[in-house]
Amino acid sequence: MSNPYQPIPAIILKTVDETPNIRTFSLKPEQEIPFRAGQFVELTVPGSGEAPFTPSSSHFKRDTFEMTIMKVGRATGALFDLKPGDIVGARGPFGTPYPLERFVGKDIYVVGGGVGLAPLRALFLALTHEPAKYGRIFLRYGARTPSDIVYKHLLPEWQRMPKVDIDLSVDVSDEKWTKKVGVVTCLMDEVPCDEKTSIAVVCGPPIMMKFVNQRLLDAGFPGENIYLSMETNMSCGVGQCRHCRLGPYLTCKDGPVLTWSQIRGIKDPFV
Amino acid sequence: MDRYLLSKTNINQWLAKLLESHAVYVPFESEKQVHWHRLGITDLEPGTDNVTPAQRRIRASEPVKSFMFQPRQQVGSFPEPLPVTEPAPRILLGIKNCDLIPLKVHDKMLGEGEYKDPFYTARRQSTILVAADCPAPEQSCFCNLLGLAPFAQEGADAVLSVVDGDWLLEVEASGEELIEAAPDLFFKAEDRGPEVRRRDDERKEAVAALERINPKPWKTDLPGAIAARLGDEAFWRKHAETCVECFGCLMGCPTCYCFILYDQAREKGLDRTRAWDACYEAAYARVGGGANPRAEFIKRFANRFDCKWNQFKRDYGMYACSGCGRCLKACMGKIDIRKVLGEL
Repeated sequence: MSNPYQPIPAIILKTVDETPNIRTFSLKPEQEIPFRAGQFVELTVPGSGEAPFTPSSSHFKRDTFEMTIMKVGRATGALFDLKPGDIVGARGPFGTPYPLERFVGKDIYVVGGGVGLAPLRALFLALTHEPAKYGRIFLRYGARTPSDIVYKHLLPEWQRMPKVDIDLSVDVSDEKWTKKVGVVTCLMDEVPCDEKTSIAVVCGPPIMMKFVNQRLLDAGFPGENIYLSMETNMSCGVGQCRHCRLGPYLTCKDGPVLTWSQIRGIKDPFV
Repeated sequence: MDRYLLSKTNINQWLAKLLESHAVYVPFESEKQVHWHRLGITDLEPGTDNVTPAQRRIRASEPVKSFMFQPRQQVGSFPEPLPVTEPAPRILLGIKNCDLIPLKVHDKMLGEGEYKDPFYTARRQSTILVAADCPAPEQSCFCNLLGLAPFAQEGADAVLSVVDGDWLLEVEASGEELIEAAPDLFFKAEDRGPEVRRRDDERKEAVAALERINPKPWKTDLPGAIAARLGDEAFWRKHAETCVECFGCLMGCPTCYCFILYDQAREKGLDRTRAWDACYEAAYARVGGGANPRAEFIKRFANRFDCKWNQFKRDYGMYACSGCGRCLKACMGKIDIRKVLGEL
């Protein structure tokens, strides 16, 4: 019987500093981790703990994968001390991926905040890998300041892709900033796709998710078409330990992406 | 299922035979409490019977889950993986129904589905479960409120009933090796023989005693009643008033199955341990960024009831509670969950 708690070694191939406290790690695990966009991997920082992260790279490339991680606690703090060539542990993939079969032929309205763009990048790359299958992709992304924007070097390239429309905002601008200033909902005054049939996908800090979700509902998106990345404390990652329970769901198994229809009955889902 | 009789004069001989091939654990009385005890040959002197008395008491202080789902268990190492070892064969003799039913909860969480816990599964498979009737319920017992009986209903490899000091054993195919260890010591019991009738009468008396202890049933739709109360802070505050957050109710619970994985650094690499956790712990649901959906104790208190008597019932068709009463006996604040659930 296999052991779901046992991590496998993964070597850090490369790191890229996205912002002062967000870094992308490129990892090569000893065995392939066959994730799909939206699933997560439990990452072990030897001696400092384990935490779940969603790969941010394309699921069409599987021998290596990337994770974009913000330094917030003990495990991530220790992770930032590691260098290319160092070994971490990985186990997964776990959780339920984005149901891409439901997205076929539809416009996709993606709203991200801060480091929340990381899992959305995996989705974006999966969608743009097969552009004929899906409709247009609208990406609305907000960060605190221009220097807090992740994937700065990739965004111009994404913007040039066919059927892709990107708009950005920052809460606090600097002298070089030419786009909108305000929280990400300031990019949502006009929804450029049919709200009744399009798919909305949201990932960001809880307070941002709360307001973006409300704005999407007000715009007329049906709850079953709003996909939200729910952040809860996870330990085992495999539906056993119960830490991540959110109402009737275990976010490690049923999520981490849940639709608003699924969670609407839960008191204060965004904490 | 086959029925056997074991005369009181042969009990020690049989147990000694079992000790040749198995580690045998039985409940033993010690300072009025009952504790699990690893049987040794010195406990089985001819002419004594040290094992039968505690078989007629209520469940031991320690929940039986500890034998399979251990309080702390190493479950991984890094970078070299941890092998799963096969534990030595064991017999637990004298499990009350309120400890047997909870094993179903652990089977569902750890032993079934896409991801199985290989350490739990190995311990479960290497253990023979012998249940025992519970003829003398105490004031803390409330299995009847959960629709359970004071004797094994399912899940045991054999069921023991003490009848006038002799042992009546009902053995499933999975428990045959118990008899095969010393077949000459047993007689076949008649289906409607006097021992079975005596046993059935005693079971009825135990059920009646439980109904006297807990005469008023809970609401039929307990899950619905809890769901409707979740937002009622005043209700939970009233019942949680004397809680000192010692987690005794959770640590003693035979069904609580929450755990946490934690790593300890070695010189090169780490050991990973799976340890019991408690949902009353303040940091239980806190995420890496610091947000905590149940930062206030009152939310964690209500969450426990939501988990055990609402969500688990909805998800798995059974309550994550067997009415063993350990939680209320452990409680320093004298919180009796029967009262909380009764007032929903």
